[in-house]
Amino acid sequence: MATSAPQTALAIPGQLLGSASKYQPGPGTHIHESNLYSSLLGAVHVVQPAKAPGPVKRLTKITPAASPAELPTISVSRSGVSEKREILPEVGNTVLCRVVRIMPRQAVVAILICGDTVLDAEWQGLIRVQDVRATEKDRVKIYESFRPGDIVRAEVISLGDQASYYLSTARNELGVIMATSEAGNTMYPVSWKEYRDPETGLGEPRKVAKPY
Amino acid sequence: MADRRRVNGPVGATIPPVFEDEDVQVQATQRTTRSRAPNGIRKMYLKTGVTPSASGSAYLEIETSGKDGVSGLKLSCTVHGPRSLPRLSPFSPHIILSTHVKFAPFATKQRRGYLRDPSERDLGTHLEAALRGAIIADRWPKSGVDIIISIIEGDQGRETSGAQGDDTWDMMNALSGCITVASAALADAGIDCVDTVAGGVAALVRGSGENDTARIVIDPIPSEHERIEAACCIAYLPARDEITNLWFKGDMPDHDMGIYSELVQQGIQASKLANRVLVESLGETVK
Repeated sequence: MATSAPQTALAIPGQLLGSASKYQPGPGTHIHESNLYSSLLGAVHVVQPAKAPGPVKRLTKITPAASPAELPTISVSRSGVSEKREILPEVGNTVLCRVVRIMPRQAVVAILICGDTVLDAEWQGLIRVQDVRATEKDRVKIYESFRPGDIVRAEVISLGDQASYYLSTARNELGVIMATSEAGNTMYPVSWKEYRDPETGLGEPRKVAKPY
Repeated sequence: MADRRRVNGPVGATIPPVFEDEDVQVQATQRTTRSRAPNGIRKMYLKTGVTPSASGSAYLEIETSGKDGVSGLKLSCTVHGPRSLPRLSPFSPHIILSTHVKFAPFATKQRRGYLRDPSERDLGTHLEAALRGAIIADRWPKSGVDIIISIIEGDQGRETSGAQGDDTWDMMNALSGCITVASAALADAGIDCVDTVAGGVAALVRGSGENDTARIVIDPIPSEHERIEAACCIAYLPARDEITNLWFKGDMPDHDMGIYSELVQQGIQASKLANRVLVESLGETVK
């Protein structure tokens, strides 16, 4: 079992993958006594580090000498075993969510998509009033930013409390990406803070995400 | 059993009708004896991914002891999750395991109820302890995983009367199977584990004769031995050489302390053998 694993395509949990001095740990691995072991059942991938683009002409600042990022990264992925694997929202991920409920101090959302993956489980998120936008935070009103049913692109800023992840829309490209008006029509964005109904012509305030 | 909403089977032992036949006569007179080597376990069949709706699942079957009417062990395990915790539960920085072990009502001679009884809860607690040492819990914050095992067929001889043996030895065999099958299902579900944990049982048995010395066998079948003095069930991580759960029961000769460690050593040996089946089976799942 404790053979040199990188040649074999398959790893099972607890299989030795190599020394921690030869590889960097990627997803699906763990370190025990300065050795890398697989922690998942799946295929082993070794990714070589990206080469520095050409020789650097002149040093303009002092850098730390040997950076440890030169090691190839070894990871175990579930591809080939099973497509369905739960993933969790992590801090820094961009998620798509639907607004469930709005309150004066916060909006409660259901997280639907994390990165590129559609989540099976339902995770609850919370956008607090101070996380809606980066400027003029004291003038933010939740009901002028979100309405129940809106689809919002947001970033995870914390694992939050026992119930919900804390999300933020305090960037230009984050905010409402799909909204329906009170008349029930899908609206189009007209500015950073307004959506307009194409049929009635009425505008509604939202925290609008900048289109890509 | 005051459960009137379900159609309940007869309370008490059910034995299928056995007709007088020459084979039966022969069977009834001769007691089964252990034909395997003392350090050999029974053959087992393990397959993962049997329940499509679960995140991970596995099925384990241990062969019968070669005699008609003696059933083997059949276990089905499903893993659901990781999924979000219930709303009222406190924040948890790591995954929360919940294990349920349930005998099917028809799994043993003594009919089981639909609700979990204390012995089944006990199995669940042992199983949780065995698995908690193998899972890397902090990879999955704020989430829970449910591990549900149904024992479809318990490991019990049919013709031996229920009063004869102590149930505990059967429970130990069931627990070691539960640990192995749950480990396979966890790997199938893609939950991070430090190792594949497997269960094994070793027992100190004594023959029928007066001057028979006690000997240690692994994977004991209670109907094959006159008396089981003591047994231990072990959950063992082979790559790390760690025991995650140890269940010891019985009367040991107290003048010989070495026999304790010998019994544990043999239990580890049994779980190493079970782990070979587990590793082989996991290797087959990858397409």
